[in-house]
Amino acid sequence: MAQTKTPTFIHEIESLVSDKLQVVSYQWLSRNYMVSANEAKRVLQEFVQKHDGGLEVVYALSGWLKSKDPNYDIRLVTGPKLAEAQQEFDGDCSVQVYSVQASIPKDPAMLRNAEFVQAEELFKQPSSVDNCLRDYRFCEISNSFVTRKVDGSTVVSAAPQSKSAVGEGPTKSNTVQKSPKSIAHDSIDKVDAKPQNVIKEAKSESNGVGNTVALDNINKSIAEKEKALPLPTGKKKVPADKSVSVARGSLASFWGGASAKPKHCTPSVEYNNTVSNPAVSTENVQTACEEECDSGIDDNQIVSVRRSSNRKRRVVFDFSDEDEDDVVNLASPDFPNKQSSQDSRQDDKNTSEKTTLNFDSQEENKSRVKEERETDQKAHLPLGDNVSAISKCTNTGKSSSEKLQSCAPEARVNKDSVNNAAPCSPKRRKVMKTRIDERGREVVEVVWEGEETEVKKPDKVTTKNTDSKTNAANSAPVTKKPPANSHANNGKGGNKKGGNKDPKQGNLLSFFKKV
Amino acid sequence: MGIERVQCDYVSLDETFEIGKEKYHGQQYCHIYFARLHLMRTLLYSLVPHWKPNFPVCTVLELEEGKECVIVGTLYKHMKLKPRVLDEYSKQKSVVPLVKPHNFMHSDDYLVLEDESGRVKLSGNIIPPEYVTGIVVAVLGKESGAGDFLVQDVLDAGLPPQIEFPLKSGEDKYVVLVSGLSVGSSTSNPLQFQLLIDHITGHLGDEKAQLFASKIVQVVFAGNLVEIPHRILNGQNLASEDFARMSEPIRELDILLSQIAAGLPLDIMPGPSDPANFSLPQQSLHECLFPGSSSYNTFRSCTNPHCFELDNVRFLGTSGQNVDDLDKYSDAKDKLEFMERTLRWRHLAPTAPNTLGCFPFTERDPFFIESCPHVYFVGNQDKFETRIIKGSEGQLVRLICVPKFSETGVAVMLNLRDIECHALSFTLDL
Repeated sequence: MAQTKTPTFIHEIESLVSDKLQVVSYQWLSRNYMVSANEAKRVLQEFVQKHDGGLEVVYALSGWLKSKDPNYDIRLVTGPKLAEAQQEFDGDCSVQVYSVQASIPKDPAMLRNAEFVQAEELFKQPSSVDNCLRDYRFCEISNSFVTRKVDGSTVVSAAPQSKSAVGEGPTKSNTVQKSPKSIAHDSIDKVDAKPQNVIKEAKSESNGVGNTVALDNINKSIAEKEKALPLPTGKKKVPADKSVSVARGSLASFWGGASAKPKHCTPSVEYNNTVSNPAVSTENVQTACEEECDSGIDDNQIVSVRRSSNRKRRVVFDFSDEDEDDVVNLASPDFPNKQSSQDSRQDDKNTSEKTTLNFDSQEENKSRVKEERETDQKAHLPLGDNVSAISKCTNTGKSSSEKLQSCAPEARVNKDSVNNAAPCSPKRRKVMKTRIDERGREVVEVVWEGEETEVKKPDKVTTKNTDSKTNAANSAPVTKKPPANSHANNGKGGNKKGGNKDPKQGNLLSFFKKV
Repeated sequence: MGIERVQCDYVSLDETFEIGKEKYHGQQYCHIYFARLHLMRTLLYSLVPHWKPNFPVCTVLELEEGKECVIVGTLYKHMKLKPRVLDEYSKQKSVVPLVKPHNFMHSDDYLVLEDESGRVKLSGNIIPPEYVTGIVVAVLGKESGAGDFLVQDVLDAGLPPQIEFPLKSGEDKYVVLVSGLSVGSSTSNPLQFQLLIDHITGHLGDEKAQLFASKIVQVVFAGNLVEIPHRILNGQNLASEDFARMSEPIRELDILLSQIAAGLPLDIMPGPSDPANFSLPQQSLHECLFPGSSSYNTFRSCTNPHCFELDNVRFLGTSGQNVDDLDKYSDAKDKLEFMERTLRWRHLAPTAPNTLGCFPFTERDPFFIESCPHVYFVGNQDKFETRIIKGSEGQLVRLICVPKFSETGVAVMLNLRDIECHALSFTLDL
């Protein structure tokens, strides 16, 4: 049976090693796929033979050393050092594959992390469960004298299992128990996998938003925002992912990230608005518009957009009368933004060694979104000035060093703003509920909208995400705002930043202006 | 396919090291010295007739100038560098020279012999660096004019009698000695320990290696299993996250030990860095610290001086405090020599109440070695050393310094068949 299993194994090993960057050690393999340790080693050996290149293999040697004092040595060596290490052993030593991984970690202890996490997992199972950690059924050496107390009083002899490991009888019992376990393992794997992806996405996005310097900050902020998401093993994988994600940052991953993440991130912001909307009808439109802008932009920059959206909203609510004016004024820049982004994109291609896939993809997204808006709004908006201004800023923004500098602070600001945003939004909601009803009385409704929002979220989220672009296209004034901000930025602080970042600062400035 | 692990009989002889019903009523340490002197003097008196048949035996009080005689008593080593608590309170600056970093010896040190009747300063043919406070010896000599006792010869108790070594069965059975795992410390490499586990449980290696591993019948962890960050142990109340940090190493150790316990018997001894009592004999770590591994019948938590028999081969070992303390107050060419001396003095920890923390026993001295072990090991040493010493009555003792695993990656394997031993090293060459 083991023989037949082998091929599927190998397939999975490959994906584990090259995609998930996991260290696959024989021990882990043995426990995960419920095969004996020796079988696992054989499979790994086979895998290594079939796969030459792109992999780092760690071999375990054991045997007597050629020293004058007898010394039995167990040694882990990498592939290249294998021959040399074998020389040090006296006579024939056993050489077996210990683990297979994409790269040798700097700290060798990392080799056993996956294994230890797995062991921990098995260890945590209730003591009444006999798992492969507890009875060593995958070990060649059995010890029928080992017994284990379960629940303090009853004594269950582990002997049968350990014995079972020897003969054929055991395999049956193993298989019976295996299925649930393997499922458990799978689920664990999935959990493992998820965080990785999330982080990758986060990174690819963050790449888009800022450059490498800003990465950490942004990651942090994203992590904070997304506490809802389970990030169990994420920490460990971060270092490994960094390089990869940075390098890859393909369009696909970018879109994937955008679709997956924004859903989690944006809802909190958006829902508040949506809930509050019914109360204030006039503002509804605007907020909605803004949201749509946000969602549209979200694809590109979650962090920055959200932040900006919060600020805007505030402004909108406070000065609802003026809003329309503002909108008109602000709206004009929108065009330029798109164009500028396109421009910048072209520029990037032309000029840069810098342009990474991420950058392009990001901008593509942006440009798409914006083009949609453009088409809708073209009638409304005058283009000329804005375009020039934005193109200016994008050009200036290109010097990478400046970008980096500007990014870092921004990221921090974003963090803050995000934190603030959460507390702020509920207050706003309450204020919104203050209104004059039909009888001319002022009614202050204090509603726990947070709960409502949560209930509503699922529906709205889905609709919003899907519709957001179309909505954005429909609601003209909304789309205009973000560009307006960016426009403002361009005029004032535009020099510092690339096209992407401008909107945020623009928001700030515009806000203060108004006030 | 499938190898049955070799078995052997295990007898624990730890009772002497258990504090058990002894209670602390504020008693001082004189009882332990008295018990020691009484025990050893009886022993030495029986030896003196063979050693120096023609000389009278007397007490310190009965000494007369110019009369050659044998006196038996406890040594006290006067050391000017030995740190004293009172020094910290004295206002005056000490004129005593600075202390060497890890040894308090000085050329001016001298020995004093005392029994119940009095004390006398020793001079002559006795070398202070070899001795420490707390040993009971017999000395031959005469009182000099200056009031010193001029030593001509010294007799120590010698190797205790040994139970007969079991007949060679021809079957290899190995015992693995490990110490200084220091799980949780920055120096320890968990991968090495994992390799150790995988090797001795038989996961690692080809069939030959596994056959080899199946002959391991026992693993002994000689102290310093965990290392808890000192920062946490400052006597302050702990924040909740510090609790987690404090218990984390022990939890990890439990996971690792349970992997061994599932395969073969293991003994753990507490060491200086473990969460056990400080004073010797250290009592066994409570099983509740190891919920996972303690559910196996193979898991044994033992006292710090630890004595047991495997197939009638007697083992005696400590986690290293006794030898480390000797190293501070006396001199030898290597750690094995300290070990040999403790056997010849028939006392596992002669410095015990003096400079080594010790429970104030009232009736007995638990560190008195009645029976000579076949294997005597000491944990937490800097490097692996081993030697066989022979006693006058044909005793054969294997002395082993077990190195700190976290620093060296070396464990020790001992063959019960012929008490030969070798290093078991784990190397990471990545």
